[in-house]
Amino acid sequence: MRRLRSAISTASAEFQRHYAHNRRLAEELRERQERARHARPQRDLDRLERQGKMLPRQRVERLLDPGTPFLEFSSLAANMAYDGESPGASCITGIGIVSGREVVIHADDSSVKGGAWYPLTIKKIVRCLDIAIENRLPVVHLCDSAGGFLQLQSEVFPDRYMGGRIFRNQCILSKLGVKQLALVFGHCTAGGAYIPGLSDYNVIVQGTGAVFLGGPPLVKAATGEEVTVEELGGAAMHTSVSGTCDYPAGSEEEAIAIGREIVAQWDRPRKWDCQREEPEEPYYDPDELYGVLPDDIKKQFEMREIIARLVDGSRFHEYQPNYGTTLVCGFANLWGWKVGILANNGVLFNDSSLKGAHFMELCNQNNTPLVFLQNITGFMVGRAYERAGITKDGAKMIMAQTCSRVPKFTVMCNGSFGAGNYGMCGRAFDGRLLFTWPNHQIGVMGGDQAANTLAEVKLKQMQRNGEAVDQAVIERLRDETRAAYLEQLSAWYSTSEIWDDGIIDPVDTRNALGMAITASLNAPLGESGYGIFRF
Amino acid sequence: MALALLLGAEAAGIEIVRRRPHLVVRIDGREHEVVERDEADGRTRIELDGRPLALACAADGNTRFLRLGGRNLRVSLVDPRDAAAAGEGGGDEIRAPMPGSVVTLHKAEGEAVLRGETILTIESMKLQTALVSPRDGVVELLLRGEGQTFDKDEVVVRLASPSAPGPSEPAPPEPATAEASPAADAKGAA
Repeated sequence: MRRLRSAISTASAEFQRHYAHNRRLAEELRERQERARHARPQRDLDRLERQGKMLPRQRVERLLDPGTPFLEFSSLAANMAYDGESPGASCITGIGIVSGREVVIHADDSSVKGGAWYPLTIKKIVRCLDIAIENRLPVVHLCDSAGGFLQLQSEVFPDRYMGGRIFRNQCILSKLGVKQLALVFGHCTAGGAYIPGLSDYNVIVQGTGAVFLGGPPLVKAATGEEVTVEELGGAAMHTSVSGTCDYPAGSEEEAIAIGREIVAQWDRPRKWDCQREEPEEPYYDPDELYGVLPDDIKKQFEMREIIARLVDGSRFHEYQPNYGTTLVCGFANLWGWKVGILANNGVLFNDSSLKGAHFMELCNQNNTPLVFLQNITGFMVGRAYERAGITKDGAKMIMAQTCSRVPKFTVMCNGSFGAGNYGMCGRAFDGRLLFTWPNHQIGVMGGDQAANTLAEVKLKQMQRNGEAVDQAVIERLRDETRAAYLEQLSAWYSTSEIWDDGIIDPVDTRNALGMAITASLNAPLGESGYGIFRF
Repeated sequence: MALALLLGAEAAGIEIVRRRPHLVVRIDGREHEVVERDEADGRTRIELDGRPLALACAADGNTRFLRLGGRNLRVSLVDPRDAAAAGEGGGDEIRAPMPGSVVTLHKAEGEAVLRGETILTIESMKLQTALVSPRDGVVELLLRGEGQTFDKDEVVVRLASPSAPGPSEPAPPEPATAEASPAADAKGAA
């Protein structure tokens, strides 16, 4: 496969300007992550120390094989929710290596409000279990949660994708033969009790670990019975009387050691035989991604320059290079794995949509995982395009994408506006993993368009009501709308709401995709076949 | 089988006549026999038409660096796709990749441009695209002014054809500092 030839001059003023801009965004990402991961009120840290508990991240670190990478999901979940009171949505999730096996880890964060589950905590846990289901990855739960955040109970309990979904997903995993281990470090109360209860294996720490449907205060209120934590659901009782827990552990360290040994007993999942070559670092330095990406969401850039900094040897076999040129399609290898890449180089026209649909069919037939690199402002609008059937050609692309049987991965490289998001495997389309870059913006339309549309509506309204048109009011509305939109369009907001599996530094994308693709091969390929293509 | 090679910067053709029992190649109509011998000391030695020569070889993709009989040689296989790409000089016209309007004209008529230099910025569907020059040359005509609209594939810039005398000196050939654009340079980085 031939190497892409970069046309970027790293010495140019524009490259330097872009580089500085995007480097700054990456720095901001690091700072935000650092805060979300480690900044905690002293009293919470003191409390954990008093209880003899490790910090949740220390537990995860101990659990993982030393020196192996941890692909953390949604590290900035909830960063713009609950006045920042739930950093990382009060839990840690991700894919890591334990005793040589890829596992999904779910760890409650007891350093935040006792590990209580906020609505976004539940969304994040449910998502990590969905990832486990879709990729057939075993799960290790590190349990230490006070339970649902009661002040927001209507948002954590009743609906389809709320608390119950965690336990539903656990059952589905088990039915699929995917193993689960729970390490009980703190109290697992009410629903939380089912996490160890539904795991194949569990370990409980003496003294601090407890499992019960109702804690002592609730029991007293319900029946008048007075009982201690240890009697009601402690390690000794559950491992020797009820059989709810399997292994007692004298300390957290011991619990983790037992857990690692349990995982070491599991049979290794057999990956399907995805085509693989000897991996090769990209020829062009991924660090240059900062300078390739623009400093303004509106500025177009060459997606092949991005591809050249992600794939093995910067090699790319481009499919139909002269047809539908606003969608770049082609084959490459990433960490050695053969992938089919679809990358936006402009608006989707009829030909680009058809090319995309065709290319996805080729990849599905060839067992080639798909990587979508999004920078899309939508499908082309206008009379000529409607007459040419842009809607039905877009529908073909969405159909081929949705029904693809190979694993799909999406990177939000810049803009994602309108229906282009659908054709390019946006969040709704069950991609295995979706990552976001800090410069990313997403919305049904751009901030300027929304501001102008609403200002226009307001103006008409004033004129209709016979009011004097107050330009200051119009301008204020325009500015407010733009500001509100900008906040919600931003990658920080997107990742806060878990519309992705995490915001990542562009230079880390190659490794994130590499881990993601490797993990995805544990699940068998999907069923072949599509729905009706409208011709 | 004839192979097109680059020997240093020189083009060379070589034809493989036979591989067994010994390699026989034909160069410029003359056949040469090559016998390869691995020596006990781990070195390689060949006999070229009976003449012994020491050979060392290192590979980098399609290129081989040889030390042969005391001479250093760099040999690469010509990729027919590279040869095809080299023949494309870029046309005289720049067409709009999508319908839209002109945001900024960066060059005036009569001005010299380098390959990859931005001539105008257009906007369509919330997206600003730099249209760049496909080759070194001179802007002959700008068919749209700032704020004016155009349809997809309409010609928006015409470059003076290379033979026509330009109003200013032709630009010196320099490496392009490209903001590649999908339509003006569909090859892009490829």
